Amino acid sequence: MAEKILIKERLGDALGELSKFRLLAPTKSDEVVLFKQIDDPAEAYLDYLNSTVPPKRVVFPQTETLFKFRAGEPDLEEKDPSEGETVIWGLRPCDARAMAIVEKLFNWDYEDPYYLKRREETTLVGLACSSIPSVNCFCTSVGGHPFGTEGLDVLLTDLGDKYLVEVVSDKGAKVAEALSGLLADAAGADKEAAAKLSTEAEKGISRTIGTEGLQEKLLNLWENPLWKKVSAACLGCGVCTYLCPTCHCFDIQDEVEEDEGRRARMWDSCMFCEYTLHGSGHNPRPTRRERTRNRINHKYSYFPSKFGDIACVGCARCINLCPVNIDILDILQQVVEA
Amino acid sequence: MVEQLIDTDKLKKIAEEVISREDVRLLIGYRKGTFGFRMRPAFVEEVSEVGELEFTPACVNNLATYLTNYERPPLPRGTTNDTRKVAVMVKGCDSRALLQQMVELAYKRDDVIILGIPCNGVIDPAKVDKRFPEAKGPGDVKREGDNFTFSADGKTETVPAAEVIADKCTRCRYPTPLVYDELLAPEVERFADDTYEDIAGLEKRGSDEKWAYWEEKFSRCVRCYGCRNVCPMCYCDECVLDRLSPQWMRRSVDISENTAYHISRAYHLAGRCIQCGECQRVCPMDIPIMEMNRKFYKDVAEFYEYEPGTDAEEKPLLSIFSVDDKEDFIL
Repeated sequence: MAEKILIKERLGDALGELSKFRLLAPTKSDEVVLFKQIDDPAEAYLDYLNSTVPPKRVVFPQTETLFKFRAGEPDLEEKDPSEGETVIWGLRPCDARAMAIVEKLFNWDYEDPYYLKRREETTLVGLACSSIPSVNCFCTSVGGHPFGTEGLDVLLTDLGDKYLVEVVSDKGAKVAEALSGLLADAAGADKEAAAKLSTEAEKGISRTIGTEGLQEKLLNLWENPLWKKVSAACLGCGVCTYLCPTCHCFDIQDEVEEDEGRRARMWDSCMFCEYTLHGSGHNPRPTRRERTRNRINHKYSYFPSKFGDIACVGCARCINLCPVNIDILDILQQVVEA
Repeated sequence: MVEQLIDTDKLKKIAEEVISREDVRLLIGYRKGTFGFRMRPAFVEEVSEVGELEFTPACVNNLATYLTNYERPPLPRGTTNDTRKVAVMVKGCDSRALLQQMVELAYKRDDVIILGIPCNGVIDPAKVDKRFPEAKGPGDVKREGDNFTFSADGKTETVPAAEVIADKCTRCRYPTPLVYDELLAPEVERFADDTYEDIAGLEKRGSDEKWAYWEEKFSRCVRCYGCRNVCPMCYCDECVLDRLSPQWMRRSVDISENTAYHISRAYHLAGRCIQCGECQRVCPMDIPIMEMNRKFYKDVAEFYEYEPGTDAEEKPLLSIFSVDDKEDFIL
C-alpha cells in the first residue's frame, strides 16, 4: 500500500474512529508516561521520548489470572485471555521490535495461549523517533532503527503538521481502512522529508556498542572479576527488568482466600533475591554478582544462541532509570575489553 | 558565598590513607557516572582505585544503605567473612542513617570509618535531566554562590541553585554530618529550617480526597521495590515482602496489594526514616513517597519529641515508653 498522509488536525477524529477497537495510547500523569486505554483522544500524549513502562504490559500484563478454583468443585473456571481487538497507537519502534523478539520465546517449545492470543489481536501503530532520540538510546547497535518497522503494523512519521502513514502489514491495512476517510495520498516531498528525518535520527544516536562475538565471549567470562565490579552498587531492585521491553520472566502463584482462589501469572525479576530460590533454601544465584551476570548473559548470550536475536532493543530505560547508574553499555564495554 | 567545598586532592589523600590501613577492607565513595551529570557509587578496595573518587553536588546517593544492604551467601567450608572495617563517605543527611542504623544495633561504631562531607545541597537529577535533556556527558557540576554550574560536551551553563536543587536540601537542618571520624571540609552552618509546608496540603485533605489522591499514585506502582532496596533503614534479614510461604503480601500488582505495600513500608519507617529522600528519588513511577514519610516524621516529632538519627545514645522510638506519652490521638 502506498504511503498516506494524516493531517494532525484530524488526529482526534482518527483516534475517534479507532475507538471501535480497544485503543491504547501514551498518556501522561505527573512525570510518568504510560500506555492506557483512552476514551477521549485528548488523553493521548504523543510528544514524548518513550513511555516509562513499555507497552509489553498490554500483551503481557504484570498480573493475570489463569484460572479460578473453589473448594469442593472439581471444575476450574478458566479465564479467556482475549481482550478483544486492540490497537496500540504511537508506540516506539524499539518497543514493537521487542514484542517481535519476545514472541519467539512465547511461541517456542510451548505455545503460550495467553500471550499469543493477545499478540494476535493487537495491532501496533508505531511512531518513528523523528526528534533526536534520548542521549542513551542505542537501538542501532542491537539491530534496530529509530524508524524501524519490525513488529509494527503501521509506522507514523511526524512531519510537523501531519503524519506520514506507512502500512507495513495486513493488520495495519485494516487500521488504515478504518481511517480511509481521513487519509490522503502522500506526495513525493513527504516521503523525502521522512527519509531525511530518518537519516538525521540515526546520526543523532551517540551511544554504541560492538556486539560481534559477544555471545561466545560472555560464556568465557563466567568467573571474571568484572562481574563483582559492575554489580557492586546494585541494590537488587526490579527497575531494570520490570521496565525492560524484552524482559519476560514470570512466576506462577496460587492466591487463596478461604475456600476459593486463583492461579495467577505475574512478572518476576532475575534481580530479586527469591528468583529461582529452591525449596531447599539453595539459591543458584546467591548474590547480585550472579544476578547481574545472568541479566546480561540472558540478553546477549543465551537468548541470541536460541533465537538469533539479542534480547535487548536499546531503549535505554535500564540506563536512564537505574537508581545507582549501573549502565548496560558500560558493562558490555568492559566485556568487550576483558 | 557558598562555594565548592570538597578539595578532591585532599579527599584522595585521606582515602589513600584509609584504604591502606590493614584493618580496612573497603571504602565506599563516589565516582563519575556514565552519562549526563550522573555520579555513581564507588567501591574502592585498592590504593590504585582511589584516583576515581570525587565529590560534587551531583553525589545524590545515600551510601549508608550499602552498610546494611550487603549479602551473606553461604561460605565455602573453611573460610570466614572479612569483618574488617568499611569506610564510607556521607553527607549530613546520610550521616543520620548511620546514627539510626547504630541505634538499632545494625553494626557497631567501631565497624565503620566515617568520612563526613559538609554539604550545602545536592542537585535533583530529575530536574537536571529535564533542564539538560541533550547532555551526553559525563559532565561536571559545581556550586558557585547561589548557582550550580553545569559543564558537559564542551559547554558550560550556570543555573540558579533554587531551580535544580533537591527539595530535601531546601529544608536541611543538618548540613554537617552528625557523626564522623574525619571531616573532609569545614563545617557548614545550618542554612534552612523545616516548616513542613510541603505536606500542608496533604494534612488539610479529607479522607475521601486523600484516598482519591493516593489511589491514583499507588495504582501506578509496579512494585519494583526500588524504594525499599535503596532505603538505608530497610535491612531485615528476610523482608516480609520476599517471603513466599507464608506469603504475607501477594506478588499481584493491583490497587489492593499496592496500597498494602505502601502502608506497610511507611509504617515500618515511622520513627526510623531519617528523611534522605532516596525512596522518592529512585521511584520510576514518580510516586511522592516522601509525603507519607514526612507526615509520619512530623507526627513522631510532635507527639514524642523524637527525631530519629540524631543521637547515637538514643534508643529506638518503639522500644521506649514514658507514662507521659501522648494518648490523645489514639481512638
